[in-house]
Amino acid sequence: MAADVTKHYPFFSYWQKVTLLLWLIAAVFFTLSDTEIISLEPWSELLRMAEGFMTPDFFATEYLLESLWQTVSFALLGVVGGLLFGVPLSFLYSNRLVAAFCAVTRSIHEIFWALLFLQVFGLSPITGILAIALPYGATFARVFNDILIQAPHTTTQTLPANTDRISRYFYGRISHVLPSILAYVRYRFECALRSSAVLGFIGMPTIGFYLETAFRQGNYHEGAALLILFIALIGTIGYWCRPKLILFYILAGLYTLPTIPSVDGMLLWRFITVDILPPVLLHVEHWHQIDLNLVNQLLSWAQKLFFTQALPGLAITLLLALSALAMAHIIALFSSAFSSRKLAGPVLSSCVKFGLLVLRSVPEYIFAFIFMMLLGPSMLPAMLALALHNGALIAYLTVRQSDTLEVSADYNGRLDGYCYEVLPQIYPNLMGLVFYRFEVILRETAILGMLGVATLGFYIDSGFAEIRYSSALFLLVCTAMLNIVVDMISRRLLITNINQQMTCSGNHQASPKTLGSAC
Amino acid sequence: MITFENLTLKYADKLAIDSLSLTIEAGEKVAIIGTSGAGKSTLLAHLYLLLKDNAAYCSQKQGLVDGLSTYHNVYMGALAKHHWVYNLANLITPFKKPLSEVNDLCRKLELDFHLSKKLSTLSGGQRQRVALARALYQEQSIFIGDEPFSALDPIMAKRLLDLVFARHETVIMVLHDKSAALTHFGRVIGLSQGQLKLDIPHGEITSNHIDELYSGSVAEIVPETLNHA
Amino acid sequence: MRLINIVALLLLSTLSSAAFATVFTFTAIPDEDESQLRTRFDKVAEYLQSQLGVDVRYIPVKSYSAAVTAFRNNQVQLAWFGGLSGVQARRLVPGSEAIAQGYEDQFFKSYFIAHHSADILPSENFPNLNGYTFTYGSKGSTSGRLMPQFFIERNLGKKAENVFTRIGFSGDHSRTIAQVQAGAYQVGAVNYKVWERALAKGIVDLDKVDVIWQSPTYPDYQWTVRKGVNETFGADFKTKLTKALLDMKDPQLLASFPRKSFVAAENADYQPIENIAKIIGLID
Repeated sequence: MAADVTKHYPFFSYWQKVTLLLWLIAAVFFTLSDTEIISLEPWSELLRMAEGFMTPDFFATEYLLESLWQTVSFALLGVVGGLLFGVPLSFLYSNRLVAAFCAVTRSIHEIFWALLFLQVFGLSPITGILAIALPYGATFARVFNDILIQAPHTTTQTLPANTDRISRYFYGRISHVLPSILAYVRYRFECALRSSAVLGFIGMPTIGFYLETAFRQGNYHEGAALLILFIALIGTIGYWCRPKLILFYILAGLYTLPTIPSVDGMLLWRFITVDILPPVLLHVEHWHQIDLNLVNQLLSWAQKLFFTQALPGLAITLLLALSALAMAHIIALFSSAFSSRKLAGPVLSSCVKFGLLVLRSVPEYIFAFIFMMLLGPSMLPAMLALALHNGALIAYLTVRQSDTLEVSADYNGRLDGYCYEVLPQIYPNLMGLVFYRFEVILRETAILGMLGVATLGFYIDSGFAEIRYSSALFLLVCTAMLNIVVDMISRRLLITNINQQMTCSGNHQASPKTLGSAC
Repeated sequence: MITFENLTLKYADKLAIDSLSLTIEAGEKVAIIGTSGAGKSTLLAHLYLLLKDNAAYCSQKQGLVDGLSTYHNVYMGALAKHHWVYNLANLITPFKKPLSEVNDLCRKLELDFHLSKKLSTLSGGQRQRVALARALYQEQSIFIGDEPFSALDPIMAKRLLDLVFARHETVIMVLHDKSAALTHFGRVIGLSQGQLKLDIPHGEITSNHIDELYSGSVAEIVPETLNHA
Repeated sequence: MRLINIVALLLLSTLSSAAFATVFTFTAIPDEDESQLRTRFDKVAEYLQSQLGVDVRYIPVKSYSAAVTAFRNNQVQLAWFGGLSGVQARRLVPGSEAIAQGYEDQFFKSYFIAHHSADILPSENFPNLNGYTFTYGSKGSTSGRLMPQFFIERNLGKKAENVFTRIGFSGDHSRTIAQVQAGAYQVGAVNYKVWERALAKGIVDLDKVDVIWQSPTYPDYQWTVRKGVNETFGADFKTKLTKALLDMKDPQLLASFPRKSFVAAENADYQPIENIAKIIGLID
């Protein structure tokens, strides 16, 4: 069929096909989802929210500066930890085991890592920093490896023949990609600030601790103030996070870390040997006690969990994530056009860019919360929240690229000119980001689970709330599986095409095959 | 110095070099000419593969690193001379000795700006000279260059060619400038469709030889393109 | 040099944590207002410190399950738990004891509230909730989840998921009120004290949402102390602690919980809660 399409519509390009496919799938998923609008009288609550934003109360929060600083400190130390862990792994990433390990690590949301570490380290800064460092390290490993693969080989060919391997690697490969690696680390630091704030939702002493309480309890004056501060913190990263200050920040962060409760090795042991075991295995003391009956019990436990929680959770997660992905794609497409200097005037472009900053800084949780008041407790608020946040992020990254693009001398600055000259250049990258974000959206459905949308995250959260770590772990494994499958599919979609592009543009030159040579 | 007989090289399906036999002696200055697609660059890359222990290669692809300074891009020619720890330290802050050496070399190549300048800010001609500087900084006895002066004006190209000759015992170079090949090189090799069509020592070449080479190959190609159309 | 500094810092921080091991630590989440937690409960810590003669520290937590985890890991030795979380904590750390409860917690109750469009009239009898949409509070709450679910299932004779067309967890009593008032859910269950406070604050519009049923009373919040405190903090520490809690009369301190006063309690008081949690299936 694909061949037919190509034959009858020769100008129907690869990306048009992918886009159409994405929209088709999302449209089907959207109609299958629960998108009922059931809020009858949200106005009094929304009015209180609006009042909160009109008159934010910056003095309502205790230890405000401390929590802002801890937000930065956790993010920074988390990223440093992630680098320590991710950089070595990125060199080993071609190993399938390493890649699988990283995929599993990435697929679990920071919140759930923190909830796991909470059992072992307690309410300790180690919990928060590791919860950021681990998934970020796994992401670094993958992205650095991707970037390194794309480094041109031409330089190593012109180096002196006897150059040692290390110098060859650093001068010939790393130096090519170092700017993009640093840019990526900078971008991830912004993400880490968000993660750090979100970890406050479960008890880390960051700004999220107070933000979540304020919104949950309806203290909108306080919540609005915290949100404004947080957006300002992210919007001004460029001003306060100077490369020269980073070492100082790291040392200050280490120094001002909240006290670390002594780590008890027994807790880890207990967590592995008792907490995460399915209830039927708890009373087993010797291996020979394991018999067919026990295995049956174990299977029926797993089966019940799978059919009553994992499968419905999986379905809702996919419905939600894919619908949100297509919405995010549309939002990104339009907002990146209207915030591009190539199309919009300076005023419009700055306004849209500010809007994008707000949308990408605010945690989805808060959006979902507001939309839930407005639209009722269906999946729609969660979809919109995910779509707005991720769409804004994709648009922001796309505009960074489109603003530096060169256009021809007779570029007309209108929509048609944009579609001819700019869009074709940024579109593959935009789609790449969309597919990459899908993995993130899947993970982030977890947070919305905490708001009551019955995603996998909802059931995992219930597992933790009911102190049933075995169920939580079982569901986490299911989540990891889902993410690995999605990762494989999106990589296949992207890599096939990126390879095509490379061969077309001649980046990959076939090496000459020597048939016969006599010296 | 190097000899091969009946060399055949192929890209995936296309024949690049077709049973070619050649001998080059140490001390020779060889120019290689021919139309595009004649197999010049392939031959050159192969020569480098065989001679790489004593040769500096200035490829058409340049292999420059945009994110690094001019100094570092030139310094890369000396990577093999130093321990990797020295190289890495030098990546962070340049050492004085190589810095002054590279500086001198760059002055000779008329790269008159501060060496900390990022490569991405340089013009095409400047980039080509940085690539040349890297090859010169290797200080090998053989220089293998693939159109190293294509982006430069003829006067500067001539001056730099003299510099290359002064610093290398043997020079093998692909040239697009026929007259430079005639006047400066001791030997001119002409390729057409992967075959050796011309191999004449200095003094015996006239521009007629070269014109024949170019027109001959054109004459051979034309019917084929017509068939395609 | 820098590396040495960092290592020294890390060593110092572990040393300081070891020094804190003899600090008596407690946590508490009030059922109503969670703002200014540290400021308010640091005063409680001060009070306890003056009564007990040991260093007392308060650590804030976000959820009942986090409080239970901290209690289980001996990060806190005393906690102000809800009915259900107290039961969970004492099951995980055998030998721990409920030593005091709030005066109001002896006869705590939940309110079922409904949006006016649902047309359910307030009644003494349990309302017929079949076919409505319903929201609990947070998943681990006694008054917002456990007891309401129990009453629904006992009175209507079937599992809650078969009663309602949609079930949600608002996450908090204040949320439950806001969502039912907005009509997002037709019916919800709340802690009666939170409802009355919201009413007093004037954020409830009785034309839109009202109480339709009051639950029978049950025991709720309590102070639970970890086993082994006497070994760490002195032979009669538990007795002294109980006395200090029961003697807490300062209205400003009591307002943090908020309770009229504290009265004695024991583990057996919470047996009904444990039984119900087992019936519902929240504990095995």
